[in-house]
Amino acid sequence: MPPISPSHARDRIVVSLFPFFAVLITGLAQAAPTPSPAGASFPTPAPAPTSASIPHKSVTGATLNFAPNEPNGQWQSEAHDWANTRYSDLNQVNESNVAHLKIAWTFSNNTKYGQEAAPLVVDGTMYIVTPFPDDLYALDLTKPGNPIKWKFEANPSPMGIGKACCDVVVRGLAYADGLVIYNLLDDHTVAVSAKTGKQVWRTKMGNVQSGETMTMSPFVVKDKVYAGDSGGEMGVRGWLAALDVKTGKELWRAYATGSDKDVKLGPDFHPFYKWMQGKDLGVTSWPRDMWKHGAGASWGWVSYDPETNLIFYGTSNPGPRVPAERPGDNLWTSTIFARDADTGEAKWAYQFTPHDQWDYDGVNENLLMDLPMDGKVRKVLVHLDRNAFAYTMDRTTGEVLSAQPFAYQNWSSGIDLKTGRPVVIPKMQPKPNIALKVCPPDIGGKDWQPAAVSPRTGLVYADHFNLCMQVTDKVVGYIPSTPYDGMDMGRYPAPGGNLGAFMAWNPVTGKKVWEIPEKYMTMSGVLATAGDVVFYGTADGWFRAVDAWSGKVLWSQKLGSGIIGQPMTYLGPDGRQYIAITAGVGGASKVRIDTNLMDKVGFPAGGDTTYVFSVDGISANSSGPGMIETPGQGIKSIPGPLPPSSPPPPDYDKHKATAPPPGTRRQP
Amino acid sequence: MNARPMYLLSVMISAALACTACGKSQGGAQAEPSPAPQDHSFSTPLGQRAGTGDSPEVLSTPNPYEGSKEAAREGQQIYLAMNCTTCHAYDGSGNQGPPLNDTRWRYGGLPIQVFNSIHDGRPQGMPSWKDKLTDDQIWKLVTYVESFGGTFPASDWQHAPQGDVENENEAPEAQGQFMTPVPGTVPPPAPATKPPR
Repeated sequence: MPPISPSHARDRIVVSLFPFFAVLITGLAQAAPTPSPAGASFPTPAPAPTSASIPHKSVTGATLNFAPNEPNGQWQSEAHDWANTRYSDLNQVNESNVAHLKIAWTFSNNTKYGQEAAPLVVDGTMYIVTPFPDDLYALDLTKPGNPIKWKFEANPSPMGIGKACCDVVVRGLAYADGLVIYNLLDDHTVAVSAKTGKQVWRTKMGNVQSGETMTMSPFVVKDKVYAGDSGGEMGVRGWLAALDVKTGKELWRAYATGSDKDVKLGPDFHPFYKWMQGKDLGVTSWPRDMWKHGAGASWGWVSYDPETNLIFYGTSNPGPRVPAERPGDNLWTSTIFARDADTGEAKWAYQFTPHDQWDYDGVNENLLMDLPMDGKVRKVLVHLDRNAFAYTMDRTTGEVLSAQPFAYQNWSSGIDLKTGRPVVIPKMQPKPNIALKVCPPDIGGKDWQPAAVSPRTGLVYADHFNLCMQVTDKVVGYIPSTPYDGMDMGRYPAPGGNLGAFMAWNPVTGKKVWEIPEKYMTMSGVLATAGDVVFYGTADGWFRAVDAWSGKVLWSQKLGSGIIGQPMTYLGPDGRQYIAITAGVGGASKVRIDTNLMDKVGFPAGGDTTYVFSVDGISANSSGPGMIETPGQGIKSIPGPLPPSSPPPPDYDKHKATAPPPGTRRQP
Repeated sequence: MNARPMYLLSVMISAALACTACGKSQGGAQAEPSPAPQDHSFSTPLGQRAGTGDSPEVLSTPNPYEGSKEAAREGQQIYLAMNCTTCHAYDGSGNQGPPLNDTRWRYGGLPIQVFNSIHDGRPQGMPSWKDKLTDDQIWKLVTYVESFGGTFPASDWQHAPQGDVENENEAPEAQGQFMTPVPGTVPPPAPATKPPR
């Protein structure tokens, strides 16, 4: 297979609306004096769109398991469900009214770093976690103005600020058994009582002075919480651990490098491909002792399949980032593991990028689904790797069924499905002290920002990068608690000039269905909904809603900072569907990117605001006509000339028909 | 009690003995793991204002290698060998650590203050190098840092120590991205009469 040329990539783009054009259309639609078509129907959920032009047959026939089946309208984990679908069955917001989304309320958490986490909503309370200093807020959604119920200050050591590679972020929360659980930058996992905001337990998972940090969202299955480390450039030895939800006690820990015992490869371990079979490959695929600080950190996402009781997660790049210093496959870095959720023993593993030479971590999310392929239904996982290939794999065996590039790349001519190994183009292998241009760059064709999948369309939705890097490897030595890196690198745009794109991906055919090029980087999570609209954001601050079938941009809103967070949706206590996203550019999108590009994004680094949207911005407890009464003593009459009064706008009474349910509106 | 004069004396003695061969390893590609060199940084309070409590005599301590191109070259080798590049970048423009080529110094940009930051470590991730490098090596490293153009001369001790950026309560490191000059436009060395920021 030849490397993907830009013209090839363009061939796949069925719909390519430039954002500017889309925004223009949206703007015109809003300026037109047409009344809101669905505004009057709230809080009754509007019917899903029935336009004849929309194909109602799923493109792929994918079926999804939404266990643990959160109560309607809640959002209890970052991925929404164990299968990591990030799909909500709410459909009040849909093609017919999404253009009327407006801000209902906002919340500022007063931190200045990249905001990567989605808020959770459980039982009428919204939980928002901040980047360092890792504060946790609980907002009462049942009271006027969504006031702070409590604030938990984790007060972690500041040591991690200088140890974290890519901003001092936290990627989210997990909720279980009345506890809100998350990881602190200084290598602790903490559980906070959802009721009181008091700490229930805090477990030390590592030593931040060594360069190890924790940034991933923990993942809960039943009575266990899974957490892993960050620090692929800091000479750490990566791991994933399981903790008891009730006590925080560590139950097991599986390393990414070292002996089979340490990696938890026992008699049940059956990798699909021969080259990953053998004894202690986590030691023997390295030069002597280098596995001890060879990274393989687990800082991404975990999925769970209740049928097989397996968890799935990936490991980071090997260290140092100078491949010449570590001949060998460097197992088990840039690898996906399938492990028994109870014991941690591996069932299979697959190394996406053997002997990773470009920093292509394998930590991205794994979306679990059942797909009709070649006449039978396969239990698969879909993984869009940093190495720019999208893998559809049999999740029971680890066999690669399909692996096709989704972003511009020129390091490989394809994945050999017989051996499971990528075919590396020899001249794209970096050599010390020689500058090399290669695509994608260190952060990959797509980074940690998670994709979503809709059972209605059967498509996977993701934003990805269109970037390359010039890299010069410089040989480094291992010094504890200092970086173990050696990559002198600058990023630049790949052919086409756009830095990002949002796409719909067909996991059966391994092809794009449509794509929206974005001028600036796209590093946000994705939300798919039963209203057949999907949401994503851009590094230059546009939050967009897109038709899940056609890729048409239906709505865009410019926010106060760039977006690298994850959108979510919930049903408020007033019965309305809300969409929430936290804006605050940072993370890897701000690190080491070409200075000129960075300046053009148009925001200073950092931001702190969670935006909550509803149709027409109406909310029973924070905006709209029900909120015209002040909490004070009413209007005070002050003698003197009054300012001229203006008549109410013609559509002032329109909202009366959309009044919230009885009991939530205060009479003037 | 301020123990710094005593310590400074030892610094000056070692400076006087400068240029004798450095006894400690600079760390090869396969350096054996050794104890982590960061334990002392916790003794520095977070947010300590640069220069607080230091006498003029201390603050005006000159870099014994000031302006020496040879020392800067040796300092560059140490900079590369000690893995300073991932945090502070190959060109000193900063990354996960703060830039060294602008005039913003949380713990001060005088020669002795830069020396102390390297020697003692700092609470937000900077390891202490006093067990890993000789004072002589650290001064050469300071000389290399000075070549980035953002430090202050020892003669500017009255004005240079600016400490935290005004009204800023949080670490400047992660916000430093926009303070980074475009490569090729590194500001010239600060004049001796530079007013406080």
